[in-house]
Amino acid sequence: MNRFLTTKGLIGIALLGLMLLVAIVGPLLVPADFATRMDMHARLSGPTLAHPFGTDQLGRDLFFRVVLGAQTSLTIALAAVVTSIVIGLPLGIISGYARGHVDNVLMRLVDTLLAFPALLLALTISAMLGPNLQNTIIAIGIAFTPFLARIVRGEALRVVQMPYVEAARASGTNDLQMIIRHILPNIMPQIIVQATISLAFAILAEAGLSFLGLGTQPPQSSWGLMIQASRDYLDVAPWTALVPGIAVALTVLGLNMFGDVLRDVLDPRAR
Amino acid sequence: MSYFLNRTLSIILTLLLISMITFAVTNILPGDVAMMIMGTQSNPEALAGLRESLGLDDPLVLQYGRWIGGMVTGNWGNSLIFKVPIATLLLQKATASAIIVVMSMTIALAVAVPLGVWSAVHRDKWQDTVSSSAALFGVSLPDFFWGIMLILLFARTLGWFPSSGFSDPGEDFTQSIYHAALPALALGLGLMAHLTRMTRSTMVGILGQEFIRVSRAKGLSERTVVWRYALSNAIGPVATIAGLQIGYLFGSIIVVETLFSYTGMGWLTYQALLNRDVPLIQASVFLIAAVVMLTNFLVDLFYLLVDPRVRLG
Repeated sequence: MNRFLTTKGLIGIALLGLMLLVAIVGPLLVPADFATRMDMHARLSGPTLAHPFGTDQLGRDLFFRVVLGAQTSLTIALAAVVTSIVIGLPLGIISGYARGHVDNVLMRLVDTLLAFPALLLALTISAMLGPNLQNTIIAIGIAFTPFLARIVRGEALRVVQMPYVEAARASGTNDLQMIIRHILPNIMPQIIVQATISLAFAILAEAGLSFLGLGTQPPQSSWGLMIQASRDYLDVAPWTALVPGIAVALTVLGLNMFGDVLRDVLDPRAR
Repeated sequence: MSYFLNRTLSIILTLLLISMITFAVTNILPGDVAMMIMGTQSNPEALAGLRESLGLDDPLVLQYGRWIGGMVTGNWGNSLIFKVPIATLLLQKATASAIIVVMSMTIALAVAVPLGVWSAVHRDKWQDTVSSSAALFGVSLPDFFWGIMLILLFARTLGWFPSSGFSDPGEDFTQSIYHAALPALALGLGLMAHLTRMTRSTMVGILGQEFIRVSRAKGLSERTVVWRYALSNAIGPVATIAGLQIGYLFGSIIVVETLFSYTGMGWLTYQALLNRDVPLIQASVFLIAAVVMLTNFLVDLFYLLVDPRVRLG
């Protein structure tokens, strides 16, 4: 446990904790209409006492928008990563456990999918399904699946060759029991590390998709959408881009720091 | 020789799979091409007629066969929004993207490799902390956020570079580099951060190996040990990672080119997606995936050349 208590680990945990707090508690404390309430006398206002983070082109308070946007951005990222695990985990385990032809066919497919840039795949799926919150989750989730499947397969392949698997097999454990009792618990650390890293990428991907108008749709608020809206007002109100941009950066930074430390703790080989 | 035969067969098979996946993904909503051409308010009979004549009622396998046949014979069809042949359009835009991809990769490698080595040599000292923190920060920001910051600083405030547009290198080379500078830098910064982290961890691994200790014991200068012995062993893995980043770059160009109104492949793909120009989406998605796959193949070949330990399999 002490190995989490490095400077990096502590900063990572603090940043993540802050963002989770904002995303979970924020919407409970801040009425939803605070993010859409327009103050016409204070359009594109810089940081003031009334609006500590400034306002956007419609006079909406950026502090409340970034707080409520946190929930959207984090929910999408989390749901997308869960989607990729739900599809990628069984694929990877089957491939690594079965080996042979099954492995060859599945991995050929996964490798081909890896040739598609994740963002391009997510954008295409989202554009084809029609952009909305649910389809953004599906799009990012599918786009991340091949990475996860690849890693799970590699780990499963490693674990399958362990003496304890052989011992379990000798004592008559069937395939399903083997996977649930012996393979899954032993590849869990790597999956957790990968999920943390994927979460960071998913937040960036959601921001990218929304920035291009193919992710979260107004009136919902997300960090990517806020940056998109700021583009036309960069000259007069650079804070409209800075506020959501910094929110994305801090969250992803927190996840990356946490992920680095997690990897050092759970997976000493990678050090 | 059998290695190359194998690889060639494997490439053809992968291209075929890429084309199938592209076709499948773009056919999630069937029949939309007709709707796209005629608009959502058009009368159902005319729509049905157009579907019939475009062959959209045929089984998917047949449609796929027709499409892949066209792709192989160079008949890529016309773009629905630009009303010009897709092949011409893509070729023209690909040049624009090639400029910024090559520029950003060059910028990224030129900084990342020395920085990563420096960081690894001074592992856990202040030099390492500074450069590792900077790199970690770098990978945590979206490319388009870098882009916005660059526009604010270099275009709006300092006025050194244009904030948008593309200039044909055939007409005015200096102007084209000028226009490519900021998009290339926006792409390059994130990549630089990523490659610095990778170079560092690769070098840390190599510097801990036995042959490094032997070289030092032999009395070789630290410079020779690090920059000749250790780095030459790191080039293979670093090149592989840089090659894999091509995929990431081709994803990022969509956002960055759109932000800078830089009319390359990324911008074109975005226009196609936004307007549901299905034939253009299919062609550009296929092309991008094919380029990524072929780049990785070339990187593998490069690995063979720089690392004699890797034998032809």
